[in-house]
Amino acid sequence: MRAARVLLASLLGYAALEALIFHSGLYASIASPDSGAGLVDTFLDNERRRPLDGPNQVVAIGNSRMGLFPRVANKLQSETGYTFATIAVAGTSPRCWYYMLRENDPDRNRYAAVVIGLDNYDDMELWEDHADREYDVGLIAARLGLRDVGEFAGSYETWAHRWLAVRGIVFKGALYSRDIQNFLLNPAARLASVSQSRRDSHIWFHDYIATSSTMDGVSIDWSTRTMTVPPERSAAQKRAYEITLLDALPPDRGQHEKYMHLWMGKIYELYRGSRTRLVFVRLPHGPLVRPDFPPAKAHSSVRELAARGEATLIEEHLFDSMERPEFFWDELHLNEPGIQQFSSALAREMRRVLGPPR
Amino acid sequence: MLFTTVQFFLFFAVVLALHYALPRAVRRWVLLGASYFFYMMWNPVFVLLLLTLTTIDFAAGVWIERCTNRRRKKLLLILSLCANLGFLGYFKYYNFLAGLVAAGLGLAPGALAFSIILPLGISFHTFQSMSYVIDVYRGQQKAIRSPIDYALFIAFFPQLVAGPIVRAREFFSGLYDWRAPDSEEVLRGVMLMALGLAKKMALADQFAQLADAYFNNPVAHPGIVAAWTGVGSFAMQIFFDFSGYTDMAIGMALLLGFHFPVNFRRPYLAFSITDFWHRWHISLSRWLRDYLYVPLGGNRGGKWMTYRNLLFTMLLGGLWHGANWNFVLWGGYHGALLAIERALGRQHFEKTPGALVYPLRAVVTFALVCAGWVFFRAADLGSSAFILREMFFGARKGSVNVIPIWLRGLTLAALAIAIFEERFEWMDRLATRPAWAYATMLIALLLCVEMFGFFERNVPFVYFQF
Repeated sequence: MRAARVLLASLLGYAALEALIFHSGLYASIASPDSGAGLVDTFLDNERRRPLDGPNQVVAIGNSRMGLFPRVANKLQSETGYTFATIAVAGTSPRCWYYMLRENDPDRNRYAAVVIGLDNYDDMELWEDHADREYDVGLIAARLGLRDVGEFAGSYETWAHRWLAVRGIVFKGALYSRDIQNFLLNPAARLASVSQSRRDSHIWFHDYIATSSTMDGVSIDWSTRTMTVPPERSAAQKRAYEITLLDALPPDRGQHEKYMHLWMGKIYELYRGSRTRLVFVRLPHGPLVRPDFPPAKAHSSVRELAARGEATLIEEHLFDSMERPEFFWDELHLNEPGIQQFSSALAREMRRVLGPPR
Repeated sequence: MLFTTVQFFLFFAVVLALHYALPRAVRRWVLLGASYFFYMMWNPVFVLLLLTLTTIDFAAGVWIERCTNRRRKKLLLILSLCANLGFLGYFKYYNFLAGLVAAGLGLAPGALAFSIILPLGISFHTFQSMSYVIDVYRGQQKAIRSPIDYALFIAFFPQLVAGPIVRAREFFSGLYDWRAPDSEEVLRGVMLMALGLAKKMALADQFAQLADAYFNNPVAHPGIVAAWTGVGSFAMQIFFDFSGYTDMAIGMALLLGFHFPVNFRRPYLAFSITDFWHRWHISLSRWLRDYLYVPLGGNRGGKWMTYRNLLFTMLLGGLWHGANWNFVLWGGYHGALLAIERALGRQHFEKTPGALVYPLRAVVTFALVCAGWVFFRAADLGSSAFILREMFFGARKGSVNVIPIWLRGLTLAALAIAIFEERFEWMDRLATRPAWAYATMLIALLLCVEMFGFFERNVPFVYFQF
């Protein structure tokens, strides 16, 4: 039948063109470096292009709270013997980290250790359901191939989100649609920005100095659950602090625990049998520590891995002394003094955990 | 279940597979079951309304045909029309009338109002149903004896919620003389679905963002440029949205072996308002002409009666869209323009002008249509008045640059295609052209959806609210 032949030819033509533009990396090479996906790409590309000075490489991964900065940690290289790098990207989640690590180190022999920054070792429940986190599609699906459809889409819990994940991987043009539309607004500026980012972004990120402003003056009276904030802070800032530091914690439904078991398990599987050691670090909670954290879970994802000797947990309270307003610039993120202290301390601790370099 | 969602495409794939895999005798059941399932996905309760109206009009058709007494026949027709208009009136117009009565009695605006959910597609399926009963009464249509066939005519999912409004004889001739679509029809059907999807997702939904931004707060965007940009965006949104939906409906029907009438013929290339109504929502214009304008006397009672009939028909056409004064004004505005054109000489507005004058006439017509869209889209009469004032007397403020360059490019491409199509009607014949020409167009449309589609949320079709 002619219709079948013509339609088949049309669909094959469409698939070929789609693959050529979006699955070959052609479009990715001009995607905005400022987007979430662009930022992930930039970090991974920079790390892949970074010349290695030996086998004693340590890479940090996490989200924006991961305060290990190579410019600080590598000052101690003569002391630690290790070279530190980071692919921690703001907004990423454990699901993204798995795929980022897989992309970044396909042969599993690049690093002596991967250090993963976590908010806690207890898979504490979150208000946001990470299993159905739509944002992950935008961050990571562009780098995934057809072989990942089942695993990536299957890790979402609702059919609507699974479809979004499938669409993100298979129809990458749809994933990039907003980026394409922005590109067409000013193609020359985009090409210039991509080129500049490719040339210089590793320097920008390496040399980035965080703000030195602090959370001094922010305090909480836990008996009345009221927060005091300096008058120069806006109402929106105050509300953001309250959400993180004061508002009720979500009830434990086991949702996040299940999610963490899945993705930490996959990250472990990724490096099983390789020379790379998985190390988890519990990041300083924040400028003020809430007293209502739930008790430790013996069977959390990372505690189980550590108990089986398959990963190392850095002493949970190692950074407790940094949970003070002077080390944070907002309710979540370390400021420059905090980064200096955290990076140095973590670099030394990594040396202790990993032992002498090869 | 919107036509643009993956759920709908899966649903349609299953229906298509069952339709062709099962014996012919059960296909109608499959289509009817699928149609009710489609409707119930929106709100299962309202399928009872659909069933009630279907039963009433099915029975009315049979009884009218059997009845030999003319007065009794008329009574049956009136009962059927009362049932249809009664349901339509309650669901669509009750609160509007209650508001008027409350105002008249000096009560609070919502004092007599009920919380009423408008059943999806009620305006379309009641009009389709009424036209059937009227045709049976007039002897232009044989009464349908199979309740399944009749129910399918009313509920057929491709056109259930937003048309096109199909005549009974068109539908039943397709049903009773059904044959599998040939290669050309399959290719046309697929092309129409891809075209509709591209119109909806890459153009209508993108223009909707601009139109919504303007109409949600017109006062925040003063000036002539902002007003025309906002109104022009809505003009584009409503055309690409509604004609995109219709293309998909016609394409789907074609793939199932049914032929629906054309509903749009490049309306923004119209050279007069008369010409516009020959090109815009043709199935509704045809319905209004045959069941309202002609029975009112049409142009048979002299010029003043013709003007009155045009005005009345268009006022009701406006009211059909929704129960508020804006729609009444929109209908009245178009009725008045049609009457004025008729008064100035019908031949000037029905005969295609020369190539030199045509573009100017088309631009003027488009501007007049845009002015009408203000009533259609604005939240209330106050906003309409403000926007119209800005469109014609506003300060020279604002910039068309709020429309991104790629969207302007796509719109110009659509305009070029429309102009080309106006001369050569090549889209329809694309299915008979060499495979590479067809494939190129289909690939371009699919990539257009992928790269320019609005994916952030599903934007409902504008006409679903009617």
